[in-house]
Amino acid sequence: MPQLTKTFPIKARDFIRAGEVSIQIQGLLKTIGFEPALIRRVSICAYESEMNVVMHGGDGTLTLNVDPSVILIEVKDDGPGIENIELAFQEGYSTASKEYREMGFGAGMGLPNIKKSADTVEIRSQKGGGTYLKMCFLLSRGDGQGTGK
Amino acid sequence: MGKGRENNLPTHYVQIDDKLCNGCVLCMKACPTKAIRVRNGKARIRGVCIDCGECIRACPRGAVKAITTVQDAARMKPYTILSSSPVLYTQFGEEVTPNDILLALRKVFRHVYDQAYVNELFNVATEFYIRERRETEEEGWPLISPICPVVNRLIAYRFPQLFKNILPLIPPREIAAREVRRRLYCESVFKTEEFGIYHLSPCSAKMISIKEPLFLNSSYLDGALGINEVYEEIKKFIGKDNSNIMIHRSGGVGIWWGMSGGEIAGLDSGKYLAVSGMPETIKYLEMIEMGLLGNIEYVEFRACSEGCIGGPMTAVDKYEAKHVLQKLVRTYGVRKKVDYSQARKAYREGWFLADRKTDIPPHRSGTLSISEAIQRQERVEEVYRLLPKKECGICGSPDCRTFAEDVVDGEADLDDCPIHKSRDRKVKIVHEG
Repeated sequence: MPQLTKTFPIKARDFIRAGEVSIQIQGLLKTIGFEPALIRRVSICAYESEMNVVMHGGDGTLTLNVDPSVILIEVKDDGPGIENIELAFQEGYSTASKEYREMGFGAGMGLPNIKKSADTVEIRSQKGGGTYLKMCFLLSRGDGQGTGK
Repeated sequence: MGKGRENNLPTHYVQIDDKLCNGCVLCMKACPTKAIRVRNGKARIRGVCIDCGECIRACPRGAVKAITTVQDAARMKPYTILSSSPVLYTQFGEEVTPNDILLALRKVFRHVYDQAYVNELFNVATEFYIRERRETEEEGWPLISPICPVVNRLIAYRFPQLFKNILPLIPPREIAAREVRRRLYCESVFKTEEFGIYHLSPCSAKMISIKEPLFLNSSYLDGALGINEVYEEIKKFIGKDNSNIMIHRSGGVGIWWGMSGGEIAGLDSGKYLAVSGMPETIKYLEMIEMGLLGNIEYVEFRACSEGCIGGPMTAVDKYEAKHVLQKLVRTYGVRKKVDYSQARKAYREGWFLADRKTDIPPHRSGTLSISEAIQRQERVEEVYRLLPKKECGICGSPDCRTFAEDVVDGEADLDDCPIHKSRDRKVKIVHEG
């Protein structure tokens, strides 16, 4: 079974390069030739989780794992962790600072959007212990037609 | 040149003159779709070319040219009708009025038509369309302007899922040509084979948009000429026509279209955005694709920086043109000179609606299954790890990543990379991987 794994570093508070990782992932999935709807779901989740790390998480990594039946994204950071995970999944709940809100972030839609777009979401976090987020995307059409390069 | 579809790649109207090309890497580096390779000392277009003209701008030797009707001028119809991009009005300094220019143009070609006026009609149609859509649709925003043929092609080949976001209206240059054509048919002034309608344009992609239109079954135009190709000739006739005929009908809004932001400047209030320049266009299309601009209603994309005045086939510098254009807008005012009720009637009758072809042109050379594509990508990553990441282009591919793809696809040899090759032979080269 062919498998492709790639890890991308994410830097805390690096708003200049923020979003780059999700754009790279989007490009990679497009090159492989996945369905646009699937790429869109993965990109949204990659973007939201990347921004979460940039804003809240301290330094972290995003690992992409692609095989013909499933796309897996794991995001780890060594940040302060999430105090109340249930609340964090509620639409509109946000712990973003005034500064981030002024930048247009912090609408409290990050994790809710991820929950909506990914097929399964696993999150492990505790206060002071960093956060681990795992998202799965199933290829409903199995080994569908790719388009090569 | 524009003929034949090797490997299903799109046709293009950009051509490299082997006699002038010295095989440097500048055009290859400038190409936003990585469609150029240098092979055997000459640049070659071999990938998805969208006729943006970045290579024309980048070549210091003038070896890259856009193919227009000028190269085939002998076959132009005896009666020519010219519709000009408003960019032409910015090319002769601030003292020369659009009407002076149109009169001079009439001396060179037989008939001319003021397209800027149709731009204003198009603005009204866009307003109607957006208003209707606000009431019915919640998703699928933003709409994308259909004006720039390069952006349309970029979307077709690299962002196919955004194709449906393109506003389904016919661009003003085509509407103008269609109306002129209809009128000439009705009045039977000429036989159909006697007249040809041509577009005078700053754009290297007008030719492809006429020969292979994306939203029309066939174009109403017969060809395109570059402003820089006929500039000197028009200039000779400026001020030589003292007749009082008014050909120019538009307000400042129709002329404004020549620069970035000009199209949306003609729209009533709404959430609009104007983006120009290739890197920004790609960046914003990526953002739309990720669903980040759903709060915007309309995006005016122009592939050329600063808009059409920055086109590769203009005669004067874009900033000089911008200065003239701003003065023209002040002179002719920011109100559209169109009759709204007439425009509404035309809109209702479907005057502006495109008979869009739903299929997107084939754009990939091979079709691999997802499994094969993942395998290919693994090999690409493997080769890429071996490369020096100096992005020098000496291998003949635009950057190390594309070179890795070329190696995997059998289109290049790993030894084409001189740094990798010398390292292989234990020659010490200072690099930090």
